[in-house]
Amino acid sequence: MNKHYDNKLRLLIVDDEEGFRRTIAKRLAKRGLKPVQASGGEECLGILKQNPMDVVVLDVKMPGISGIDTLRLIKQEFEKIQVILLTGNVAVSDGIEGIKSGAFDYLTKPVEIDHLVNKIKQAFEMTRLEEEKQKEFEYRAKLEKKMIDTERLASIGTMSTGIAHEINNPLAIINESAGFMKQVVSSPEMSMFSQKDALLMGIEKIEKSIKRARKITHQLLGHVKKPESKFSEVNLKALLYETFGLLKREIKNKQININWEIDKKKNIVWSDPYQIQQVLMNLLSNAVHALSENGSITLSTREIYEDIILEIKDTGIGIPKENLGKIFDPFFTTKSFDEGTGLGLFVVHKIISNLNGKIDVSSTVGECTCFQLSLPKYTNQTDNDTPR
Amino acid sequence: MIKIPARVLIVDDEKDFVEMFSLRLEGQGEKVFIAYSGKDALKILENVAIDVVILDIRMPGMDGIDTLRQIKILHPIVEVILLTGHGSTETAVEGMKLGAFDYLMKPADFKDIKVKMENARKRKDEQEERIRQAEVRFLLRRSGDV
Ligand SMILES: Nc1ncnc2c1ncn2[C@@H]1O[C@H](COP(=O)(O)OP(=O)(O)O)[C@@H](O)[C@H]1O
Ligand SMILES: [Mg+2]
Repeated sequence: MNKHYDNKLRLLIVDDEEGFRRTIAKRLAKRGLKPVQASGGEECLGILKQNPMDVVVLDVKMPGISGIDTLRLIKQEFEKIQVILLTGNVAVSDGIEGIKSGAFDYLTKPVEIDHLVNKIKQAFEMTRLEEEKQKEFEYRAKLEKKMIDTERLASIGTMSTGIAHEINNPLAIINESAGFMKQVVSSPEMSMFSQKDALLMGIEKIEKSIKRARKITHQLLGHVKKPESKFSEVNLKALLYETFGLLKREIKNKQININWEIDKKKNIVWSDPYQIQQVLMNLLSNAVHALSENGSITLSTREIYEDIILEIKDTGIGIPKENLGKIFDPFFTTKSFDEGTGLGLFVVHKIISNLNGKIDVSSTVGECTCFQLSLPKYTNQTDNDTPR
Repeated sequence: MIKIPARVLIVDDEKDFVEMFSLRLEGQGEKVFIAYSGKDALKILENVAIDVVILDIRMPGMDGIDTLRQIKILHPIVEVILLTGHGSTETAVEGMKLGAFDYLMKPADFKDIKVKMENARKRKDEQEERIRQAEVRFLLRRSGDV
């Protein structure tokens, strides 16, 4: 039993009376506990800053920072440490005060050594229990957050597509009205009108703004699916090539290196090629945007059970931790309005969920960002049917 | 070259939209007819030889998809372009399967609409031409029989 504590229990004993402290320390050592020693509150706090401890045995009556104040400071800074107070036998009120301030317990001097050892062990058990509780709590919180996120995204999605629909109709009226006015102002009869150019400029600004608003509503509705699009075997490598073709100019301008680590056999999924291309387009253009000159994008695939995992990794600016939970939200963007709408990843998430896939992201700021797509793999029926 | 105006029917319950859109098309020299519901649209189609219908999918009462179905039954040669702000993907695809010529989401670029309209009209003209020729062949063969 003692062996077990030997290795793990980190103990600090704080008392200004050197003789008393040493004796106690020696006796504790005999019982398998090797305490570190401090002669006052200040030294105690200094030691704690350098060396993590589980339990502190603390004398209440000390010159300098009093025991109770030391206790409060310990609890403030090192929440998890359990403190056992040692009080003079007449000063029971100190002990009660101490417990109010978060001490594990108090013992009156003179102390019975076995009693102290027991208390220390109890206090240590408490630290471990608290730690487990904390871990469990964190795990739960994470799980709940994840669940809420998907639900939240779905409901935000429903709402924002609803709004997009409603806005399209008035936007179309503005569009036709502005277009008609432009047509009239541009007609030959209006050539004598001195304010004609100013008027046309105004109309063009309206049209430009309509286009800007339209970009948002149309993106939210996730462009219209092509009628001929349906599930088929999709070669990811070929589709990636095609998509890079659309980004050729940016890639050349920034001199981006593309590393292909795609397994020839393990890159065929069963999905809707049109929608997958939309996903790739959004992910790749984000990667290109995040890169500075001479950066690189690495593409790799692997097979896990019934799925193909596609990894798109860029050596760009990265995503700060606090943003990782938000990037799939509609309208979350760190770009200016003409560079991004914050809808790309939202649409990606929507499409991938509908296609029974999964998407994950990991990133280190200033180093890299990696998006992982998981999609159902294509299985050739005849291959499976023919025994080999 | 003198342009022969297309006879266009706009069907949409959004009156403000129909008003402005038709003014614009008329300004471009087209002959425009308007209907604010699917029922009215079918009435007009009975009386006028329309080339192209521009049809909103979401309307109260008889909706665009039903209207499209009826048009394709009663006037199969008339081309229909779906134009809507409520374009859910599924209905767009359904519309195309039912024989719509094309699909556009509001607000649409006027240029896009014009191009699609012209193509739709061309297809209708070609279709009519084919029918005419078939009729001619039929008549010739009959006279040959005699
Ligand atoms: N590869 C990436 N590297 C760094 N940041 C990224 C990357 N992909 C996405 N992001 C971050 O996520 C945000 C949301 O992306 P997205 O939904 O595509 O919208 P947008 O690109 O229009 O901003 C971006 O503004 C950016 O901050
Ligand atoms: Mg983007």
